[in-house]
Amino acid sequence: MLKDELKQLLVEALRLEDVDPASIADDEPLFGGGLDLDSIDALELVLQLEKTYGIKIGSSEESRAALASINVLAEYIERHRSATSASVKG
Amino acid sequence: MDDALFFEAFDGHTAFGGAETTLDRLLRGESALAATPVVPEGQAEAVPLAAATPLALTTPPRWWPLLSDLVADIPGEGWGTRGRPVFLAGSNFGIDRLYEMGRGSAPDAQADSWATVHGIVRHLRDRFGWGPLIQPVSHACVSAQVALSLAAEWMEAGAAEKALVLSFDYIGPFVSAGFHSLKILNAGFPGPYEDRAIGSIGLGDGAAWAVLSRKPSPWRLVARSSWNEMHHFTANEAGGSGFRAVLEPLSPHLGGRPLWIKGHGTGTLEAGRLEATAVAARFPGAPLVSWKGGLGHTLGSCALVELVLAARGHERGRLPGTVGTRGPTFTPEVATEPFAPPARSDILLLCNAFGGAHGALLLRHEN
Repeated sequence: MLKDELKQLLVEALRLEDVDPASIADDEPLFGGGLDLDSIDALELVLQLEKTYGIKIGSSEESRAALASINVLAEYIERHRSATSASVKG
Repeated sequence: MDDALFFEAFDGHTAFGGAETTLDRLLRGESALAATPVVPEGQAEAVPLAAATPLALTTPPRWWPLLSDLVADIPGEGWGTRGRPVFLAGSNFGIDRLYEMGRGSAPDAQADSWATVHGIVRHLRDRFGWGPLIQPVSHACVSAQVALSLAAEWMEAGAAEKALVLSFDYIGPFVSAGFHSLKILNAGFPGPYEDRAIGSIGLGDGAAWAVLSRKPSPWRLVARSSWNEMHHFTANEAGGSGFRAVLEPLSPHLGGRPLWIKGHGTGTLEAGRLEATAVAARFPGAPLVSWKGGLGHTLGSCALVELVLAARGHERGRLPGTVGTRGPTFTPEVATEPFAPPARSDILLLCNAFGGAHGALLLRHEN
């Protein structure tokens, strides 16, 4: 399931050794919340997401919006994966 | 007035050309930024870059003839000797050569001589006969601001009779790729202080010099201030405290004179909003302008390049507006069209950098 996959990726990419992926709520704010992530973490995460899902996040504003929560991020990836796939199919 | 500091002479250039040409083009609302691949290889995204010459990696670097022409016009003798220090500012000394090395280029001693600050200082000394008293200053985008402040401190401490500040930053693939990876350099063109959904900066070539002296001249450095938020490398404190803090030490020097403000205004949304808001709150009604939508961000050189343009424009009595900004702005004080400096006004010059660094200079035309 994409949301579980994203939680795992977040914990691994940011080396959140004390965080159990399952403990991250789908609607929990990823930034400004209990995970205590900052803008460097956001960059690391964006790079990992781009590499893993073949998407392109073009600006800091777009990445801030996409990383609001696991729910929002999953929806963003689904939408952009579809867009990439559609444009490849032509 | 005995302890007053003056700018005896100054000049600079941008991707448009010399200072006067740059002002002409900005006054016409033109931008030197062009959509350019972020790196030369592959299918790179095109981002706004403003280069004075084609972006090629050469030995000597493509910028050396440009810088040499600029430096050749610096008046005075004995630079780099006791009492006449040089403060050399920039944020990316040698980075193009390091990029080439990272791409697997062959060992090349001549090319490597441009890869370090020391090497570049040697080239300047060899070409212009300067002495060894050359102080490199590299503090990201406040480099020239810090160099100006250091030069002023040396003057005030009696360690310098005159001081030369020289700053340069010329863009290249390592720098553009770096900003691109931070997601603040993208395909959109910058609109400084514009309240829109997606922000972007542009990057541009820029170099400038100034001779600081006690000899009275029309341009007086009235006051300077610096502040570091110590908050986070890539983000400002969200309440805008740093943008306010750098302004406060200047208050005793304002003397009730009107102001216009040359802001930092790169085109990023959050910093632009914080800066415009802080300035409008402290100096309501004072015009605020940024020229980075026309020139790109000249990085470690921006404080001095923009000082030169501000002073020359002020002398003309006509200043360019915030080129690239077309929509609603964060505050009504943002000047989007050319304007005349208010009568008997001082110029407040602002500069920011990664790490929450802030700098401010108060400049007065004594006529």
